[in-house]
Amino acid sequence: MLEILIVGAVSSAIYAMLAVGFTLIFGVARVLNLAHGSFYALGAYGAYVLTSQLKLPLLPAALLSVALVALVGVVIERVFIRPMRKSQLAVLMITLAVALVVEQALFLTFGSEYRNVPAFIDSKFTIGGVNVAGARLLALGVGIVVIGALWLFIQRTRYGSAILAISQDPQAAQYMGIPSDRVFSVVMGISAALAATAGILAGPFLTVQPTMWLLPIVKAFAIVVVGGLGSIPGSILAALMLGYAETIVGYTISTSWTEIVSVLATLLMLMLRPAGIFGRRAAF
Amino acid sequence: MNLQGSETSPTVRLARRAWLGAACAALALSAAPAFAQSGPIRIGVPTAMQLQVGRDTQDAIKMAIDDLNAKGGVLGRKLEMVVADETENPETGISAIKKLTADEKVDVLIGGYTSGVTLAQLPHISAAKTIYLNVGSASPATNAKVKTDYDNYKYIFRVGPLNAALQARQMTGFISTFVKGELGISKIAIVGENAKWVQDLVPLLKKGATEAGADVRTVEFFDAQTSDFSPLFSKVKDSGAQYMVVVLSHASSDIFAKQWHDSRFPMAYGGIDVKSMDGDFCERIGGKAVGELAANFAVRAPLTPKTVPFFDEFKKRTNRSPVYTAFGANDAVYIYAEAVTRAKTTNPDAVIKELEKTSYVGIPGTIEFDENHDVKPGSATYKGPALLFAQWRDGCKREVIVPKTMRTADFVYPSWIKP
Repeated sequence: MLEILIVGAVSSAIYAMLAVGFTLIFGVARVLNLAHGSFYALGAYGAYVLTSQLKLPLLPAALLSVALVALVGVVIERVFIRPMRKSQLAVLMITLAVALVVEQALFLTFGSEYRNVPAFIDSKFTIGGVNVAGARLLALGVGIVVIGALWLFIQRTRYGSAILAISQDPQAAQYMGIPSDRVFSVVMGISAALAATAGILAGPFLTVQPTMWLLPIVKAFAIVVVGGLGSIPGSILAALMLGYAETIVGYTISTSWTEIVSVLATLLMLMLRPAGIFGRRAAF
Repeated sequence: MNLQGSETSPTVRLARRAWLGAACAALALSAAPAFAQSGPIRIGVPTAMQLQVGRDTQDAIKMAIDDLNAKGGVLGRKLEMVVADETENPETGISAIKKLTADEKVDVLIGGYTSGVTLAQLPHISAAKTIYLNVGSASPATNAKVKTDYDNYKYIFRVGPLNAALQARQMTGFISTFVKGELGISKIAIVGENAKWVQDLVPLLKKGATEAGADVRTVEFFDAQTSDFSPLFSKVKDSGAQYMVVVLSHASSDIFAKQWHDSRFPMAYGGIDVKSMDGDFCERIGGKAVGELAANFAVRAPLTPKTVPFFDEFKKRTNRSPVYTAFGANDAVYIYAEAVTRAKTTNPDAVIKELEKTSYVGIPGTIEFDENHDVKPGSATYKGPALLFAQWRDGCKREVIVPKTMRTADFVYPSWIKP
């Protein structure tokens, strides 16, 4: 029981980091970014290159990797997404194209071999008789801190207010003199940084290879559909639901069945309540 | 006169035309083999090009081709290689076979990796009447039709790896002689990935292990996409098992070993782990495989006079340690070349007759084919290919533990497990 509680919390934290960024950029800029999983992959590959090839210590490597991926996010928004933002379909297509280009670029540069991101903590902790890897607990801790910080940033800072304003009424916000393009860039950077952080934290106990972007985008998508596209509390709640649902299915039925949970949840939610738990309106 | 003339002349013309046509056809027919028998012998390589198994297949074939061409080729003809990417997708696999046989008109196919793909390709290989030397996929089903439908499926041979049923038998031997006999553990868990060849193998393994006196506490399958093994480990632990016998391939091996190490899972594991055959497996997961015991089809040890020279030459040329497809691919080229030399032609029917007589000292052992054209396994009296169980040790070095006759070091438990 305690084991399910801990393992589920770790999965949920990683999912939340992925989904919050994904939903943030949708809520603010109405951009459904299919390249979101690529930021996760790039974060992990960045940490791999910086630690194993440039021999940097892990912490600076991780921070540098997150910063670089945030920059990549800003560039992608500026160069590919902004010119097409008026058409959601065009944005979907261009971000999917970006994701596939990133995958192929990783294939060409690193090959299909599995790579490794070293763990910050390589020891095991025993909580109430349950053995948990340090790397997982760290992912949980960092996940909570990062999402908490993001929450404070949005609620307490001027920039956060601007983000909120745009997400509520973009036109009115623009009339009030909020530079919406710049806010979009910043939000894209934050979204990419969150995904990269998830990639770096999950890298040590998962694996790093070019197609690793696909599963996170499927999960993020499922979570935001369930939680409501554009709603951060909805995403966090849905991440918890999905993380625990998968863990419970894994423990009680079989690990073979966990992957179907997210797809099924998406399907059911779209049929029963297309706007999601916290969504104000159907996104599609 | 006229009447006679007008009556006979079209008939004669028709007859002449028919005769001319037949003659042309006969000429064309006789010219076709003459044309096919000149120029280079083309080896078609359908493989998953982006994976290490695929790259090693190509490099090992290239090595053999370069060597044979340097010695003057086969029947005075040079060898050349044409590659097609079959990926891990049956549809793409079929396209690769069609491209190689219909467009490239290769003389022989050497390749294969995923059993599901190979099975989908079989009817197309048979329709193209092209010899296929499988060097990658392990499902017994790929060769099942050779005996029952010989005329259509005689083209199919497996040079390696040992098929899943034979692997199960050797794994059973591993459980009874090593896990039970030497470690003194009889309570085991079997953990396998949901893949065709694993589904073929696990029931045989369970039956064999039970017959050998082991107590199989649980059998767990997991999806190849699994990213969290905590639930599975928990079930295995709760089952009361004391040793985990695994059958893993594809992407999950890395994650499995990492999470086993990270949670200091209180149970040693060993078995078939395809990725653990990679020379860099242990290093690339940060040494977390140390303690794992994994089956290999060959390791750099004097199994035959060819083993060590092949490993060294491969390393020199590619800067990588070869994986199992490389052994089969390299041997397959020589086996085919020898059969063609004996048959004095590349005509498939004649070459098949010679391939069936093969007794070739290859990299993992002596290669001979059974009545299903499947490679015969080694035994106490026959030096055919056999599974070698090697343990990852500190510094990511490998030591052979099983079979005892090949042992290079004694088994050591992972540091956190006290037997």
